[in-house]
Amino acid sequence: MKILKQYKVVLLIVGVLTITSCAHEDQPRESQLDYTQPTKTELDNWITANYLSTYNINAQYKWNQNTVDNNRFLFPPMVDKVKPALEVVKQIWLDSYTEIGGADFVKKVAPREIVLVGGVNSNTNGTRTLGIADSGQRITLFEVDYLNKTNRANVTEFVHTIQHEYVHILNQNKPFDEQAWQKISPGDYTGTWHLEVLATSRNLGFVTNYARNNIIEDFAETASTILTSTKAEYAAILASITDPAGRAKLQQKEAIVVQYYKDAFNIDFYALRDAAERNTTKVINNQP
Amino acid sequence: MKPKNIFKFLTTAVLAILLLGSCSNDTDAEKLFDKTPVERLNAQKSELSTALLDSEFGWKAVYFTDDTQLGGYTHLFRFTADGKVEMASDFDNDTAVYKSDYNIVLGSTVSLLFDTYNRIHLLSDSDSYPTTALRGKGYLGDFQFLYYGKENEDIIFRSNRLVREVRFVKATAQDWADLSKNLDTEANLVGGINSPLFKLLEIKDGSTTKKYDFSFSPVTRFSTSKSIDAGSSEVISRGVGYTPTSIVLSPAIVVGGQNLTNFVYNPADGSFTATGTNGVSAAIKYSNAPLVLTDDYKVTLPAAGAPSTAFGYIAANLSTAPTNSPLCLQLLNEINAALPSTQKVNRVQFTFYNNGTADIMYSFTGGKATFYHRVTVTKDAVNKTIILKHSLWHNGTSVIAAQALVKNLDDKLLDPKGLYVTKESFRITYTNTIYTFTGASSSFRITTYAFQ
Repeated sequence: MKILKQYKVVLLIVGVLTITSCAHEDQPRESQLDYTQPTKTELDNWITANYLSTYNINAQYKWNQNTVDNNRFLFPPMVDKVKPALEVVKQIWLDSYTEIGGADFVKKVAPREIVLVGGVNSNTNGTRTLGIADSGQRITLFEVDYLNKTNRANVTEFVHTIQHEYVHILNQNKPFDEQAWQKISPGDYTGTWHLEVLATSRNLGFVTNYARNNIIEDFAETASTILTSTKAEYAAILASITDPAGRAKLQQKEAIVVQYYKDAFNIDFYALRDAAERNTTKVINNQP
Repeated sequence: MKPKNIFKFLTTAVLAILLLGSCSNDTDAEKLFDKTPVERLNAQKSELSTALLDSEFGWKAVYFTDDTQLGGYTHLFRFTADGKVEMASDFDNDTAVYKSDYNIVLGSTVSLLFDTYNRIHLLSDSDSYPTTALRGKGYLGDFQFLYYGKENEDIIFRSNRLVREVRFVKATAQDWADLSKNLDTEANLVGGINSPLFKLLEIKDGSTTKKYDFSFSPVTRFSTSKSIDAGSSEVISRGVGYTPTSIVLSPAIVVGGQNLTNFVYNPADGSFTATGTNGVSAAIKYSNAPLVLTDDYKVTLPAAGAPSTAFGYIAANLSTAPTNSPLCLQLLNEINAALPSTQKVNRVQFTFYNNGTADIMYSFTGGKATFYHRVTVTKDAVNKTIILKHSLWHNGTSVIAAQALVKNLDDKLLDPKGLYVTKESFRITYTNTIYTFTGASSSFRITTYAFQ
């Protein structure tokens, strides 16, 4: 019992010390960090309403050196070019996927951030980088300043970029059958794709020269080219291929793309293409 | 005590010591600063934002993005407290004022960021580059500047990527009004179509004078001055910025411990002069003759019995040669303009025979017949020129009348004071040696390939 009493005393002292020991420490004061919200412009509010609240996607047009490659000489877009570009992206890309994939599709599988860059991202070998998809989270779009909503070819190239990058993001969420794809034209990929002639590439079963970079780009180029072409335009591409073996290879790739959309996301790829075409026409004719 | 009790005692003791000692405020790290890092950064941030607003007419910066290969671009900024900035630049002819946003952000240190598009972003366009070596890099410009503190009235920054010092000095109302005159200064430095083609940089250190052959490219705003002393390979390379009345060189030319940067324009003789003390000065001046006279002209006078020599201007390859003078290009364009749209000047070609005569051949694209101007060639050994004099015009087989079409250009080749002949050190497209022919009494210079 005596020992027990001693313990009680010791425990009491320990308890008192524990509870009171830190009583003199400084209490946290108000934060020194600047939490004031920047004033929102009309454009900021528009982005919040149409991208952030609707899709949980942030569209960044103000410069932040952490979201761009600092080795490149790039610059932010002109402010008055931002909304037209985002409208095009929304109408042709987001609305088409929403229509065919369901209201929640893009909300679930989407980049969380779109970064807009004004000028051309020119490479030292003379090529231009039109867009970048980072780890399924961010899409960077270049040449926003040069988008002309009334020019179909110009709109198509711009939308091609986002369609292409979005295919990467879909792939980063659910991989396609890379082994099957690899077997179609195994020996024809090249790092110097920008020196190739389009007709030659098509005859080898590639939809564009860039598709010859690697199978990941090949898949994204095949899918995005079909999505940004009308049915007739794509048929014309197929018809222009003089080598029947090349045409068969491209059609094989097309079949894998269609199957991938069906299996992975239950999306009818051709219906998606038709929706994108309808929405592109609307953009060019300036319809809501 | 039993071992068990010893253990209990020790446990209690250790616990008590730890508890009692735990709240000791004594940390051994020495406090180097009175304030926490956050407090210091915040202080810097507010210091910078206050400083930016503390100038009635804003700030002026001559931004040398990389003065080892490019010149300076003058920018004027006027900041307001609501995060807006008005900006003008002498990057091109558009010196109007535009409005955009700025922000003070934390990077590796407190920095000033122009986060929406304005004039300063023209320097950072990967697709707009002055030379092929800068493809993909534009003018190497930054639009985020790290804050390095204040020096007297100035604000000192360094560029974010190339870490070059950028100094903001207080601007005046006059600076805003006169910005477009910076481009007049550029025109003065480049010279007009009839300005002499030779320029020298003359540096005086109070006792001796050194001369350099000065050349300037307005595309890069960069100057290169080669020493004309025999055996010297000294080259002074400097970036050039403009003010309404002078040019600014970066880095400074150091003469006798004095920094010479501001070269003031003198409209009377077209010179730019920077004056120091004790007789130190540097000046960029026109020269009517080449600074170094060479014996290169002798190739146009083959000895009796030797093969003839030929030198040809070929429009397809040489029309963009930097050594063609504006006057030469203007005269060639005049001829092209006078021809039907399918025809153009193809070649202007000299053939020097070994008997003191030469043919100047004029050939054309689009099927127009070639013709020749036969001339005599004499040398002026003192001025090291060749003088061409009219003999006759012919078409290869028979004598024809004088060709009015090419008269103005032809007159320059038959300059009464003669032509300087220079063997150049660069090549264009082919391995042929390049020779230039320069009028001794005009600002005419044409670029040719040597065919031997």
